Amino acid sequence: MRDLKHLIEFEDLLQQANNDLVKQARSEGKRALGYTCSFMPEVLLDLPGCFGVRLRAPGCVSPDMATYYMSGRTCHYGRSLMERALEGGFNFLDAQMATETCTVTCRFQEHLQRMDVIQNPDFFCEFCDVPFKKTENSLLHYKTQLQAHVLDKLKEKFGIDTSDEALIKAIEEHNEVCRLITEIGSYRKLDNPTITGYEFHVINLVTMVCPKYLILPALRETAEEMKTRKADPKPNWRIKVVLAGAENDMPEFTNLIESCGALVVADRHCYGSLPGREEIVIKEGETPLAAIARHYIEYSCCPRFMPQDVMRGRKQYIADLCKEYKADGLIVESNKFCEYWSYERTIDAVVLPRDFGIPTCSIEKEYVNSASGQLRTRFQAFVESVEIKKLQEGEGA
Amino acid sequence: MKKFFKKLIKLGLLVYGVLFTVFYFDLDGKLLFYVVEPFLVKHYDSVKRKDPLKAVYGMDKPNYEYDVK
Amino acid sequence: MKLNILEKVKNVAKSISEFDVNKLKEADYKKLAKDFVYGKPHGERRLGDLYLPKTGLYKHREWRGLKDTFYYFNMIWLYNYAHMVTDIMKYGGLPAFVRGLWRYRWMGQTYLPVMHWFDRGLEGLRGEALRASAWHYRAMTSETIRQFMRMFAADVSNGGSKELHDHTLAHDETVWGGIFYPWRNNFDDVPLQMIPYFVTCHVNNHTVLHYIDAVQSIGLPGDPCPMCQAEAGIFVDDDMPDYYPAFVTSNEACDGSVATSVLQDWMINKPLFAMPQPMQFDDPLVLEHCEREIEECWKFIEEQTGQPFNFELLKEYLEKQNKLQEFEWEKWDVAANTNYYPINGVAQALYRIYQSQDGYRDIWAETDKKVRKILNKVVEKKIDSFPLTRHRVIAWSCAPLYYSNWCTWAYNCWGLNCIINRDSLMFDMTIRTDTYENCLHDMAVYHEWAPMRRMAVGGMHHIFELWDYMERFHCDMVMMYDQLQCKGMQGVHGLFEDEFRARNIHAIWMPHALPDKRVVSRAEIRQIVNDYMTTVMHEEPLDPSLLDFDDGESW
Repeated sequence: MRDLKHLIEFEDLLQQANNDLVKQARSEGKRALGYTCSFMPEVLLDLPGCFGVRLRAPGCVSPDMATYYMSGRTCHYGRSLMERALEGGFNFLDAQMATETCTVTCRFQEHLQRMDVIQNPDFFCEFCDVPFKKTENSLLHYKTQLQAHVLDKLKEKFGIDTSDEALIKAIEEHNEVCRLITEIGSYRKLDNPTITGYEFHVINLVTMVCPKYLILPALRETAEEMKTRKADPKPNWRIKVVLAGAENDMPEFTNLIESCGALVVADRHCYGSLPGREEIVIKEGETPLAAIARHYIEYSCCPRFMPQDVMRGRKQYIADLCKEYKADGLIVESNKFCEYWSYERTIDAVVLPRDFGIPTCSIEKEYVNSASGQLRTRFQAFVESVEIKKLQEGEGA
Repeated sequence: MKKFFKKLIKLGLLVYGVLFTVFYFDLDGKLLFYVVEPFLVKHYDSVKRKDPLKAVYGMDKPNYEYDVK
Repeated sequence: MKLNILEKVKNVAKSISEFDVNKLKEADYKKLAKDFVYGKPHGERRLGDLYLPKTGLYKHREWRGLKDTFYYFNMIWLYNYAHMVTDIMKYGGLPAFVRGLWRYRWMGQTYLPVMHWFDRGLEGLRGEALRASAWHYRAMTSETIRQFMRMFAADVSNGGSKELHDHTLAHDETVWGGIFYPWRNNFDDVPLQMIPYFVTCHVNNHTVLHYIDAVQSIGLPGDPCPMCQAEAGIFVDDDMPDYYPAFVTSNEACDGSVATSVLQDWMINKPLFAMPQPMQFDDPLVLEHCEREIEECWKFIEEQTGQPFNFELLKEYLEKQNKLQEFEWEKWDVAANTNYYPINGVAQALYRIYQSQDGYRDIWAETDKKVRKILNKVVEKKIDSFPLTRHRVIAWSCAPLYYSNWCTWAYNCWGLNCIINRDSLMFDMTIRTDTYENCLHDMAVYHEWAPMRRMAVGGMHHIFELWDYMERFHCDMVMMYDQLQCKGMQGVHGLFEDEFRARNIHAIWMPHALPDKRVVSRAEIRQIVNDYMTTVMHEEPLDPSLLDFDDGESW
């Protein structure tokens, strides 16, 4: 396929948290607000006068200082963020909008609160409590939290306009990003997709780590470009897979999978677009904030949700994605020391092949994949096994 | 009757003495450690159990939500 | 076998031939008689010599002097064995017990050697400390029997009664039993893992390894919290009685606990109500949410039981529970401000966490009554219960003191007296019963302060309440548990190091993996304490025989 015009530019933007667009927005007087988890609605951080940056720590292979503070037995992602913070890589942040949604990222953010890590006199870190259910009580709770710990704080500390009008404007901008990402992502549903999983991963990530208004022009152009992009007549992939699992902000990992012959057609993971890039709809009689709270609770498929129907519904969601995106199999990954996904992956690896007939490869990885040789072997073996299965099914038919 | 009580007391003292010996020399512990536990473990290993991987995972569970306002 | 016997005979013959008659003549008979009557003083006991290698069994049980040995024999050993029988008869009868014993690994393998659990915890104790600590153990044993007998009697998969089954509710052990008070007249609530997991590990730590292996056998990695792993493993191994029609779970205390619920839900496949607690519980805004969760849970119970919520019953139980809390405060007061506190660290910790989590039961009130008498006596007579205390220790973070058996050992070997531990301090409140609103408010707070939530993963500033408690309990040393697989506490490791250094506090980091002794053994834990006490504190052991011994296969 022909290279995407902005791909290299996008890749460059992912090399460091304080990228060119972040610098530009700050130079324009906008406040940079860090966050780690999809439960912190990025749309609230993209109000006029500020912008959200979902934190990553690319290239952090040896988080030595962070290991002193958080030991070597915690998630590598959380530690890498801590390392980057200690190195000064997040000094551009004006605030960290925190959620206590998984233990290690929570601890990382508590360190930002307690220690003088971020060298920015305005810096503060504020926590939101996030519910574990999708009930009315949870919605009300979440809405109250977002009002008190995000909107009120932004107004109080930085004078941000948090009126309904401002929220509606932010939702419109956010929805445009979601529309474009969904449109670009929809090409993955084709029999012979015109976009690779790696490319999509890069594009989706830049929308999380850059100010929306600055990334939108390139995104619009990319969506236009996609309309005429042709797939290679002879695909260089052997099977198509859904990639599900834990925190995954390294497109190199998607690339590794694809280099083994498995095209990633759907991204259902912490930094993925499924769910995550659905448009926010304000229902009649609903305030913008209530709509935002409802949207994030309704769409999230995080394994921390506890109601029985929701726990089980998560499996159905993956099965539906496999069908919708015509995937031949599923790769479900968890980061070492991630407890939520260790259990979720264990169940997925049994239930999805057994009850839904979806071949599943279950792997544990690090944030930065130093063990790529081992993973490559696993993925290659999985691709072969799915191919054999397809051949056998073809013979049987 | 007196004889019976004497016998009973003697028997009681004997039982008490035996129990004290069991207690003092930890004979209960030794019996459990060397005999009972290995026997039971062998038994539990042979108990037929459901295969966890065959446990049903239904998708039709209700939403337990209640109006308490 | 033959060789063994021959060797033993040879050894006996050798020792007879080497026997020095002069030794008999030179023996200090007065001292021997004194030791016989009063027991050897601390420092001369050599408790380590009593162990048989590897097993932790005793060559013979400790001679504590006439009075205490016979107290131990009559009022602890005999009394508890006898009461185990009567408790079994009282709470369901022999057939249910035998059915459970024959079916469930955690039952047979664990609970039969319960007297060795007493032995380990009460080693070296004398006088009132022996008595008060033993009553705590007795209460826990009785309540444990009550719970497992209810499980067996209601276990429809193993010959139990359907009616009892339908009148029993299950809940995650981290859901406070008080939530079920409004139904206690007709229904019983039995936590799922308290007996098959939590208590078993203390009594016999062999069993739990089986469950950890079971859950890993279906693909779970080895790094999540071993407690959660074991709790899930019981279900994977099909070793849980079917005694309940529905259950309630919570997110307490951590990610691992939530994730375990997901796996348990799969294996249990019954109506489940999730009653999560807010993570940021200091935020006053979360309270209403928490209250509504409790009320929704009550609606779920009403729906499952067909019996309406009974506020009067709730009040009645809460008032009884408040009495237990008030006595706990009295105990803390004595522990904090005197040397007379007669309850050793392990009895204090286990009893408190068991009682506060389980909710009110008559056995707790009966026990507190007995302990109160002892407490009054030691205070009035100024009896120093742990006279060779060198350091007053506070134990902090995720606790393995029950599994690792360090607590009793540390006093006997080094004079480290564990005055209080973090788990004991969790539910530091009574609950108002004057109005429904106040009651619900306080119940929500109580629920939020569940074990580990408050001081392990519920906000970093609470973890650092350690310094205040050190001062309050007049402690000069910290036993800092280093749960290798607790992400919450591992994630704050460095800050604690910094604080200990800055405050010049003696803290011993004790690595452990809760019940999984394959990760860190008891011997390794003891070695770490030994090293600290010799190299940093430059102290000599009170009982050198306890410095190094092999109990690798012990219960």
